[in-house]
Amino acid sequence: MTTTGMTELEANLASLAARFRDAVARASDETALNEVRVAFLGRSGAITEVRKGIGKLPPPERPGAGKIINEAVQALEAELGDALARVERAAVERSLEDTIDVTLPGQPANIGAIHPVRRVAMDVARYFTRHGFAVVLGPEIETDANNFDALNIPPDHPAREGLDSFYLRPDLVLRTHTSPMQVRSMRKHGPPIAIIVPGKAYRRDAIDARHLYMFHQVEGLMVGRGIHFGHLKGMLVGMCRELFGPSADVRFRPSFFPFTEPSAEIDVKCPACAGEGGTCRTCGGSGWIELGGSGMVHPNVLRAVGYDPGAVTGWAFGCGLERIAMKRHDVNDIRAFIENAPGFAEELA
Amino acid sequence: MRVPLAWLRDYADLPDDPEAVVARLAALGFPVDDVETRPRLTNVVVGRITKLERHPNADRLQLCTIDVGGEKTLLIATAATNVAEGQTVPVARIGAELAGGLKIAPRKMRGVDSEGMLISAEEIGLPAEWFEDGIMQLDPSIPLGTDAIAHFRLNEPVLEVDVTPNRPDALSIVGLARELAASFGVALREPPTQVQYEDGADDARVTIETVDCKRFVHQRVSGLRVRPAKAWMRIRLALAGQRPLNNLVDVSNFVMLELGQPLHFFDWDRVAGKHLIVRDAREAERFVTLDGQERTLDPRAIVIADEEGPTSLAGIMGGQRSEVEDTTTEVLIEAATWTGPRIRRASTMLKLRTEASSRFEKSLPLALSDLGAARAARLLEQEGGSVRMPHAAGKPATEPRAVPLPAGEVERLLGFTLSAGEIERALTSLGFRVERSGDGFGVTPPYWRGDVQIAADLVEEVARVVGYDRVRAEVPAVAPQDVDSSEFDREMELATLLAGLGYTEVLSLSLQPGSVAQTWRENGITVGEPVEIVNPLSEDQRWMRFSLMPALLEFAARDRALRPYRRFELGHVFANGAASNGVAADPTESVHLTALHAGGESAFGRLKSDLLALLRRVTGNDARVERGTMPGLHPGKTAALRAGETVVGYVGVVDPRLARAYEVAETTALATLFVEALPAYATPKYIPPSKFPPVERDLAVVVALDVLAGDVTDAVRDEPLARSATVFDEYRGPQAGEGKKSLALRIVLQSDEKTLTDEDADAAMQRIVAVLRERFGATPRT
Repeated sequence: MTTTGMTELEANLASLAARFRDAVARASDETALNEVRVAFLGRSGAITEVRKGIGKLPPPERPGAGKIINEAVQALEAELGDALARVERAAVERSLEDTIDVTLPGQPANIGAIHPVRRVAMDVARYFTRHGFAVVLGPEIETDANNFDALNIPPDHPAREGLDSFYLRPDLVLRTHTSPMQVRSMRKHGPPIAIIVPGKAYRRDAIDARHLYMFHQVEGLMVGRGIHFGHLKGMLVGMCRELFGPSADVRFRPSFFPFTEPSAEIDVKCPACAGEGGTCRTCGGSGWIELGGSGMVHPNVLRAVGYDPGAVTGWAFGCGLERIAMKRHDVNDIRAFIENAPGFAEELA
Repeated sequence: MRVPLAWLRDYADLPDDPEAVVARLAALGFPVDDVETRPRLTNVVVGRITKLERHPNADRLQLCTIDVGGEKTLLIATAATNVAEGQTVPVARIGAELAGGLKIAPRKMRGVDSEGMLISAEEIGLPAEWFEDGIMQLDPSIPLGTDAIAHFRLNEPVLEVDVTPNRPDALSIVGLARELAASFGVALREPPTQVQYEDGADDARVTIETVDCKRFVHQRVSGLRVRPAKAWMRIRLALAGQRPLNNLVDVSNFVMLELGQPLHFFDWDRVAGKHLIVRDAREAERFVTLDGQERTLDPRAIVIADEEGPTSLAGIMGGQRSEVEDTTTEVLIEAATWTGPRIRRASTMLKLRTEASSRFEKSLPLALSDLGAARAARLLEQEGGSVRMPHAAGKPATEPRAVPLPAGEVERLLGFTLSAGEIERALTSLGFRVERSGDGFGVTPPYWRGDVQIAADLVEEVARVVGYDRVRAEVPAVAPQDVDSSEFDREMELATLLAGLGYTEVLSLSLQPGSVAQTWRENGITVGEPVEIVNPLSEDQRWMRFSLMPALLEFAARDRALRPYRRFELGHVFANGAASNGVAADPTESVHLTALHAGGESAFGRLKSDLLALLRRVTGNDARVERGTMPGLHPGKTAALRAGETVVGYVGVVDPRLARAYEVAETTALATLFVEALPAYATPKYIPPSKFPPVERDLAVVVALDVLAGDVTDAVRDEPLARSATVFDEYRGPQAGEGKKSLALRIVLQSDEKTLTDEDADAAMQRIVAVLRERFGATPRT
């Protein structure tokens, strides 16, 4: 029943399919496959020639021929789709094998660093503010009265010896410690009060590996009813754990400061050797590092700011921030903090 | 203070281990800064030279026959020239180890077997120049054969003990021994003071004419002969760092170090009129102290004069005219007590600080002068002196007043409880007298503890004895308070953000040499007179910094190899307050944040953008950029940064004159923020975005060179539909015309009510062009 025309058309279609498959098999990438599509199935592709055969068929056979062609085209399209998916997979496989040298330098990061001394102040402040303390700042030029007299250091007191000060006028000094902020803060705020004061202080010391005439301290002060030495120890132990790690410990040694009584030196267990001492460079073998001075606020200081020493008690401490930074980072020359050598702050950040 | 452990052991049986003593001293509040170990010494005994003969084969050697207490004598050859028969000397036996690693081996000296060595101070580790030239001379009363190392405790270390200024009593060997004895629970052996008084009239007269001489004990000792002191005394002094001189001067220094009471011995024969007058120095009075220096005095000093004028500087240093010399046979011991601050002022005025003044200025107890005189008298008696009765002028030595210690005070301050018995025992061990009174105690300090005046002082004493380790760590609950942390928070936020933006914080010294301000002035930049330090240690630190820029410029120049270079400092700068009515105002200080950007593309543009971002974050608002000037910045290339009504800082290109002076690139950018002027953070409010699409239009306009891009974009934003306006190019050149520039603007138009049509956008652009033409004479470029 099949006419010659129909047979010929089918043969053409089969030949086209065979050539199409050959071409698909040869095509190795998406571009080549698309070219195959255009060459065979496109508007002016080989299939168009085959379609022209429909017109030569007797009219009753034409719909059947059209259907055959369309089905064949769909099948070929599907094969092409599979081929496309295959080459895409192959391409992904290949790109997964690509490598880069991840150790080549990248672009320099645009980030600076805060100074290691400020870092200590921030860490101390974070700890104390977590416990409800406020952080206050104050002037570096101080009155003689606030720096000394109100802190129970009258003129001619032998303790002024160790606090050799820079004078601007007979009544104005560069504060020799952050302690005058105890006076300023207590005069401004009644008890209870709980503050820390980071800041600069000045003493007439020649500069060497252990001394700068300008340095930083952090002052702590807590006054209220029922405040005792144990609270000071509790806060300092916590502070040292914040600074030196969870195993840090603190001990007190008797000392003398005119504005505290009883007074104590604060030692922290050496973080480098965990108190073992020996040949430890960080603590010089003693197992402990001197951190600063502390004590219970002297009744004369409380009186000077208008507090009643019979009703309230309080403690205060002062620590050198450079000293803490030196111990944290194993810096053994304090002058490194003012040299600001390139990379110094960045490395310690 | 140098404390030879050998000397400390004279007064208390302390643990053998020096470390135990060091640790206890620290626990008592006397930290030991240094432990000076002594050279290892062995096998040195005390011997006597029984026979001295010439060496048969060597002119410069002598052969000594030495009795070292055994049956057999030693034959020792020596080159020393100060040897004589009958001398008692230290003898190193064969096998001895001496200072400097010297070991004594058997050896032949010019054919004679020498069985050891006679030794000098240097060989036992003492300064050679402080002792006799040659063999050390010992006291003949020491039994022969005695182990000299053990006898003088020459292997014991010397401790450098830190004594706080409130404890002049502990500036003495006995004072520290007393603390240790109490702490270890052993007895204190007080140094003996008994003497046999010689009868006879005493013609010494002392007149006190100043209230600051609180007590003046004097005592005459005659029949003396000046010679070297006994070895035990010289060794102790030398270990303590005090050079031995002769038996009389050494006694005076020994008592000062032993008891803490400085003494002065007058050569009594050389005191004119046998009359001492204690008085204020006269204005410009001149006088030679015993160090041979002529000193010009004023009434702040106290002198002890005789009838010919000053002969001692009270509390500080004796005078040359009556000092002990080789011919002295009779001395007057002076043991006085002075008002501490008075001595301190005099010593400061004369720039003369001595062992004596550093003790007197801490106000010594009156009773110590009596003890000191008695102890010196006893030691001088041992030197063959005849001692007369002591006399005292001034106040009698009274006992300190009792200090009440309320019950519960220990717990109130320390946070832990002690029984009444524990408190009583602790205080008693330190020499305090404790009486129960009501619920508390009445506590009388011993005479040497004048520093104990209030209950808190007693609490500290108790804590020292029971140990500070008893304090229990407890975290307090902090009551709500109205103290504000905003200044600190602001500074930390600024520093943290700037570091995040790529700037590294530096820290520079606040004191500077005068050359800093001078450099600025020489370059035509106005700088006020910086705040002056009146007592700097050096000229490098006479002036307080007036700006943070100089230090940053110096760092930028130093680190010129490192670009781009971004640094900042946050700190105080200082200025003299303006005088009003001729009265100088107080100096002022303000908090500056100064940042520097050197290198990279457009340092100024980068720095400006960084600061605007910073200001936006810390204030919650965008700052305005205007033209401005600030000393140190280029007058034509500087912007003022305004937050609301306030100028909060400047950013600009460095003044080219400073760029040359500091040797940095002229493109270097600097900015300063006035931290205290920054407004508080204003919480930004949310503005919902328009639901309608934006339209972007570009516009190029030609304007005069002095028209600011910022003013042009501000004017564009006056158009209600304009959402933003940004200059993306500035062109200066022939196509813009002489004195003109072309600005290319990107304008975003948007409405909240509708989607803009082309006609809407065109109309808006026309309105914008009209406004720019009217305000700036701008002409659009096509």
